Amino acid sequence: MAIETMTIEVAQAMASGYTAIGAGLAVGLAGVGTGLGEMGIGAAAVGATAEDRDMFGLALLFTVLPETIVIFGLVISLLLLFQ
Amino acid sequence: MTEVMSGPAPYIYVSTRMRVRKAKLIPREEYLRMLNMSLSEFTRLIEEMEYKREIDELSASFSGVDLVENAMSWNLAKEYQRVITLAPGEMKGFTRDYLHKWDIQNILTILRGKTQDLSDGKIRAVLVPAGELDATMLDRLLAETNTERIVEILPEKQMAKILSAGLAEALETHSFGILENKLYKYYYATLIKAARGGMRGGLPFLKYVTFEIDVKNITNLFRILAQGKSNVSTSDVWIEGGSYHVDELERLCSVESMDEVVDTLKKKIKSPVLIEALESLRERKPIYAIEGMLIAAQLNQMDNVSKRNPFSISPLLAYLERKKYEVSNLRALARGKEAGLAPEILEKYLVM
Repeated sequence: MAIETMTIEVAQAMASGYTAIGAGLAVGLAGVGTGLGEMGIGAAAVGATAEDRDMFGLALLFTVLPETIVIFGLVISLLLLFQ
Repeated sequence: MTEVMSGPAPYIYVSTRMRVRKAKLIPREEYLRMLNMSLSEFTRLIEEMEYKREIDELSASFSGVDLVENAMSWNLAKEYQRVITLAPGEMKGFTRDYLHKWDIQNILTILRGKTQDLSDGKIRAVLVPAGELDATMLDRLLAETNTERIVEILPEKQMAKILSAGLAEALETHSFGILENKLYKYYYATLIKAARGGMRGGLPFLKYVTFEIDVKNITNLFRILAQGKSNVSTSDVWIEGGSYHVDELERLCSVESMDEVVDTLKKKIKSPVLIEALESLRERKPIYAIEGMLIAAQLNQMDNVSKRNPFSISPLLAYLERKKYEVSNLRALARGKEAGLAPEILEKYLVM
């Protein structure tokens, strides 16, 4: 009986642990993906803005577009943590 | 300075800057508008463009069309130097190698000017310090009265070696043609070596270098054909490293049928742009028209290479070439308008 209670507790602890890891991975990997995406766009945006300052607004908009991936990751992690 | 940049970001940064600069170059419609302007209107327009700063700088030394022409050359040289500064790491080295042809042009201009007893001021006016030899070094070379001494103080030792080997003959015959061919052969050999050096975009660019050599050889072939048969050997004229073998090109010089020449040339060409240009050469045309077509084909090919390899050395070099032809077009327009040439005649000499 004691063994069974222990097993459920361990299982619950493990489940919440895995959920936390999943939530961390969702935000972390999404952040890495965003970073990779922004590397190219950011370099091009800085280049374009250096040549023509009027491009700053548009370049900034394009640079932050991959940020949406992090928001998706954040939403997934919040769903995991507060389900 | 320690190289801190790595990965594709520096290439993306520089390629984008070059693309923006290329997009700002004068479009075809603007050239057509310029053709119908008077000289004063044209000069005023140039003064309002990006050449303004150079015009202001040189206005004390030159006037009229000379001022416009020198300001454009000066702008071109400064622009090329700025591009070298912008280019990161190995891209810088390759850009320097590519711009080496300006050094060849400048040295030969100095040597030719000196042998024809032209004043230093006149020689300086046609120099474009866009290569490794900057304005200070070119002034130092100009200050020398002895041609052998000019060759001696050249910082590029390999080039100095080629020059010193053929200088005596060139001075004796008053012709620097053979020497020029040798220098350009060395230039293309260096370029091929650099393109094979493993740089990003190096291999696609190697194809472009081969293409440029082909265009140069084809242009020379059509020049020789336009002059008619000659008993003089043409083996020194051809640049190695292209699609055609030297013997093949020499054989084509004696072929009379233009169809046969075009068919033989087409066999080794894969680029649709050049095939199209060659097709239009079946009928005999003036040499300036042929050269114009081949230059246009070369620029189109360069654009294609830079589109296929957007983050490599290609967009940078595509911009450098386009910029060169913008300056040459504006110079042609300025000089043509000064000479009173009709817009229809001037248009034929523009690369648009």
